Amino acid sequence: MSEKELLTKAKAGDFEAFLSLVDAHKGKVYAMVRRLTQNKQDAEDIMQDTLLKAIDKIDQFRGDSSFGTWLYTIALNFARGRFAQKSQADLKPIEEYLPGLTDSGSHNHEQSALFDWRDPHKQLETEQLKKIIDEAINELPYKYREAFILRYVEELSVKEVARLTKQSDASAKSRILRARLALRDRLAKTFEDEYGRKVS
Amino acid sequence: MAGKCPEYISNLNDYLDGGVSPELCAEIQAHLGECRNCRIMVDTLKQTVKLCRDGVEEQLPQALEEKLTGLLRKHWEKKFGRK
Ligand SMILES: [Zn+2]
Repeated sequence: MSEKELLTKAKAGDFEAFLSLVDAHKGKVYAMVRRLTQNKQDAEDIMQDTLLKAIDKIDQFRGDSSFGTWLYTIALNFARGRFAQKSQADLKPIEEYLPGLTDSGSHNHEQSALFDWRDPHKQLETEQLKKIIDEAINELPYKYREAFILRYVEELSVKEVARLTKQSDASAKSRILRARLALRDRLAKTFEDEYGRKVS
Repeated sequence: MAGKCPEYISNLNDYLDGGVSPELCAEIQAHLGECRNCRIMVDTLKQTVKLCRDGVEEQLPQALEEKLTGLLRKHWEKKFGRK
């Protein structure tokens, strides 16, 4: 059955049709929420809130976007709401996370160690790398983490990121850039600290 | 090479977001070929994204699934009435 047919049924009150729609997308939405929150309990709460809200609003969903995108949007709003309330990290300027970044957004190579991914002697185990990267992402202030994940993990366009996060295109672009640079510096620093592998 | 890099960094951003002309794209790729620093910057992003995207779907915890099944049905029946 197509998404459209399922949607028509769900709107008419067919719970099984609604569940089928949800089943097709919930794994991806949950993964995104987990990345955004970096916290299992928050992710579970947001997932629950999202699906309850989807039931409340199902009649208003007109199908302009796919059902999955619609769920993402609801989940994202809950995640943002939660972080707006509690994230102290958001109050710190991103410069604290990337000392090499100047106001103009240009970047000084010399201030941070670099990690050469092509050097076979510097290959780290994938699991170890994943952990390091997760931690680096987790340290980003929420709005930058959100911009990075939506753009690169969810592969949304800059315009879509702007729309979803209620930003101008320019400001979304700037957040994505800063998130990327902060991550790069953060990772470089970790490699330097933990592995003594400063290059250049 | 370090002298030219700041100029390239701002272009690199557009390059990574797919927003540069084919000519500039070729120029940047040539620069990446000879500049280790810029290349590392691009590689870091690519590696990070690759690792982030691995397993981009995640199974909901069993306990949450069980809780949701009942909860959603109840909420649904409240809205639409029992069918
Ligand atoms: Zn360069």
